[in-house]
Amino acid sequence: MQPTRALLGMRYRKLRLTTKDVNKGFYKGTGSGSMGRHTNRGGYIIEWNKVRTYVCPDLTGFKLTPFVTNTVRRTYGQYNTKLGPKDPQEYLARWKSENGLD
Amino acid sequence: MASSASIRPSLGAAFTRLTSSNTTSRRIPLLLLLPIQQTAPLSTTSSLLKRHTYPGARSNKDMSKNRGQSALRRTGLRWRLSMSDEPLPKPKRREELPPIEVDPDHGLWDFFPNRETVAAAPEDDMKHGRAWMVEELRGKSWEDLHKLWWVCVKERNRIATAAWERERGKMGFGKSEAQGRDREVRITMRGIKHVLTERFYAWEDAVKLAENDPEVNLSGKGKAFTPKEYLEEEEGVAVEEVGLKDFRGPVGGEAAEVPSEGKAQGEAARL
Repeated sequence: MQPTRALLGMRYRKLRLTTKDVNKGFYKGTGSGSMGRHTNRGGYIIEWNKVRTYVCPDLTGFKLTPFVTNTVRRTYGQYNTKLGPKDPQEYLARWKSENGLD
Repeated sequence: MASSASIRPSLGAAFTRLTSSNTTSRRIPLLLLLPIQQTAPLSTTSSLLKRHTYPGARSNKDMSKNRGQSALRRTGLRWRLSMSDEPLPKPKRREELPPIEVDPDHGLWDFFPNRETVAAAPEDDMKHGRAWMVEELRGKSWEDLHKLWWVCVKERNRIATAAWERERGKMGFGKSEAQGRDREVRITMRGIKHVLTERFYAWEDAVKLAENDPEVNLSGKGKAFTPKEYLEEEEGVAVEEVGLKDFRGPVGGEAAEVPSEGKAQGEAARL
């Protein structure tokens, strides 16, 4: 077996680093995210609170679509305060009127 | 084991030879001559089995092992095999095959616009509305937003499947319409994320405010919210207890009168 000629010599140094390059200390992830931690013996412990799970609810009978009809004009919200929808006072007042009492 | 020169027959073998069809008249005295070693060659002597060849003759071996065998001309095999007597299976035409059983409720069907086609036609791809506005999404509950998100995910999967199929088949059309549709779906998804984030931040800030609010009890024990009317009533004014259901007003139909009393008295207390 022969090494790839195009990667010999100084041409390889101009390429981007991969996970297989550099001897020690260089870590390059692959975009999959951290799911746990390494052990000092070379193993890996999965931390399940880091593992992502996707919960899809039951969509039977759900009528909303990703689109809104073009006949409905865009109307921006009107708020009393400067913060508007982000205002915590408004949020609290609304909570009290709608959700405060069970 | 048989040697060409001498054969020593056993007693049983001598009897079988007597009864076999190959016995000649001169074999019969064999019984009497049993102990004596017999040296006459039999038909199965290896020297007799060999075909006579002249010295120096070339071999008659057939060097071509696959002589006469042709797949194109369907000659069949040269030598018989253990399965030579079994009939060959005949291939059926696709129309004659039994129909493939498909689960009509399989989840993977949702990757396609309908059961017949892989990708929607560009004229159908164009038939969509505009994306949801953030203001429109603010009015939706968590359940609705959660379901809408996944509806968007499935729509994007459908668009991506169609794009992949078009790319594979080098069809060269429909990309622009698909991208327009995908853009609207992505804007809706962006809006959902924005609304949920905004709601969470507002909730966090509201919790901070509620810590200093006398009406709200965040300890987890007892009612979370006691309206001002309650507090003022407890102080001095004697009023009949207003039930929790009654406070809602029109929702609790029978007790519609009571909240007005409570509110009027509460207002009176404030004045």
